[in-house]
Amino acid sequence: MKDVIDVMELQRGKERKAPILDYRQLDFEKGFTPARFIFECGIKLGAQPLTLATASVLMHRFFKEVDHINYDCFLIASSSLYLAGKVKDDPLKIRDIINVAHNTLHRGSSPLEIGEEYWNMRDAIVQAELLIMRVLKFEVSITHPHKFMLHYLKSLEGWIGNDNWNTSPLARTAAAFLQDFHHDASILDYEPQHIAVACISLALQCLGIRLPLMEDNDEIWYSVFCKDLQKDMNWEIMEKIMETYNREPELTV
Amino acid sequence: MDNKLRRYEKIEFLGEGQFATVFKARDIETDNIVAVKKIKIGSRQEAQDGINRTALREIKLLQELHHENLIGLLDAFGHMSNVSLVFDFMDTDLEIIIKENTIILTTANIKSYLLQTLQGLEYLHLNWILHRDLKPNNLLVNSDGILKIGDFGLAKLYGSPSRLMTHQVVTRWYRAPELLFGAKQYGTCIDMWAVGCILGELLLRVPLFPGESDLDQLTKIFGVFGNPTEEIWPGLKTLVDYIEFKPFTPIPLKNIFTAAGDDLLDLLEALLVLNPNKRKTCTQCLQMPFFSNKPAPTLGTKLPLPKSIQKTREAERPSLKRKLLDGVDGGSLSKRLFF
Repeated sequence: MKDVIDVMELQRGKERKAPILDYRQLDFEKGFTPARFIFECGIKLGAQPLTLATASVLMHRFFKEVDHINYDCFLIASSSLYLAGKVKDDPLKIRDIINVAHNTLHRGSSPLEIGEEYWNMRDAIVQAELLIMRVLKFEVSITHPHKFMLHYLKSLEGWIGNDNWNTSPLARTAAAFLQDFHHDASILDYEPQHIAVACISLALQCLGIRLPLMEDNDEIWYSVFCKDLQKDMNWEIMEKIMETYNREPELTV
Repeated sequence: MDNKLRRYEKIEFLGEGQFATVFKARDIETDNIVAVKKIKIGSRQEAQDGINRTALREIKLLQELHHENLIGLLDAFGHMSNVSLVFDFMDTDLEIIIKENTIILTTANIKSYLLQTLQGLEYLHLNWILHRDLKPNNLLVNSDGILKIGDFGLAKLYGSPSRLMTHQVVTRWYRAPELLFGAKQYGTCIDMWAVGCILGELLLRVPLFPGESDLDQLTKIFGVFGNPTEEIWPGLKTLVDYIEFKPFTPIPLKNIFTAAGDDLLDLLEALLVLNPNKRKTCTQCLQMPFFSNKPAPTLGTKLPLPKSIQKTREAERPSLKRKLLDGVDGGSLSKRLFF
């Protein structure tokens, strides 16, 4: 079934396409993170959304522990993706990762021949993988906000009622906020349950959906799901999510 | 990282498997005896695939699982291009105990082993994890008679309805009929079948269904239970590798396990059901009369141990400290662990 967002997307056409970035020209000092590179490569590789979320969290956690100028961020990003595939049992072949990463960095170049450059990259990814594991003290299991969000949304579906649910893309909007928040390292600072609530809160506001039987400015709808989330904390996370979008770079190919 | 390497003082070599070498070691910080499993970096090919998937599964799952009857992962560390995992030290395993002909396995002993296995497995299943490689060799026992389920190299989260899984899991003799017929969607029932086979083996002291090939495995199973039909197992013929077997006449379990009591036979029959959906779960099994009937399960410290370990248990009793200081003289200990 088509809804407003679909129609709007059709009308806007090409201009809404994500800009093609020349990653090598980017400045990662101002808060834009190589997570974008992980997402682009991961989507090309057909990786599962949770694998991408894992890869970006592993990368953010790694850079939180080390001085980032000592490491090539694309190597760490590729290696995080490779490791995430193993952690999530979503097998990504190292050869595919190398080819995709290489082509994403050097757009339009021909595939990497099996040769010294290829083997060096392969060695580097494998070694970086072990380095990431060690820096993270072998703690690679991550509790994602996704499962909480799914549970909250399922409950809201019953609360709002089928008719209203089907006319607004609440679930999709909240899921988009959650995925995009993975571009920011501050995702590490909050509880997964809190992030899930904040993504849904933001989606409710953006779409102008009011939950039945709730008063104006009454934001405690989530207290049934999550007792320890204060109003200002929810605001803080929503602001962080919004900030992520301001950091998107202008520089395109 | 180097201090980790020094923290675990190698005592002796315990065994070697396909993916790893295991050493007995002393943790010099706590003075505990531990097992250090060093993942092999084998061929050039393997080295270039990075961290071993099996090891990563063990690390990932065991970090979050804590139960008396599951092997504990105490630490993980890397040195050079190696990864090492530190586990609870376990003296022996059920395979050795079953094979040791000087040990008598009474109903009370079997009850104790099975109770511990089911409790550990129940915890796993309640956490949505399938073990997928249960066999006597992976049920580890320490000198206090505590049984712990080990080797999580094949373990996996289950419950995602769309996800297909490989049927090439579980050592053949313990593999459930649906896996042998190529099922790609399965649940806790595959572990329950394996528990049934282990229980049978504890009673017979030889493997219950020692199939020589996948087909022979099914032949041996149907030789006891008769051929499955669509009536007793709906959906059977839709399994990808399903084939018709020549007709077998079922043999009552009573005739195979002549010494087993009725309550034990009931449990066996609840576990070894051809239709996976009819097999009982851990929780249901633990509530069966077998576990509340007499005799009570043997206390851990009273469980029989292989001779080689008995000696060390006695030697340790008078002076545990001296034994720890001498360290290296426990050379007669079992060389088998984890594999």
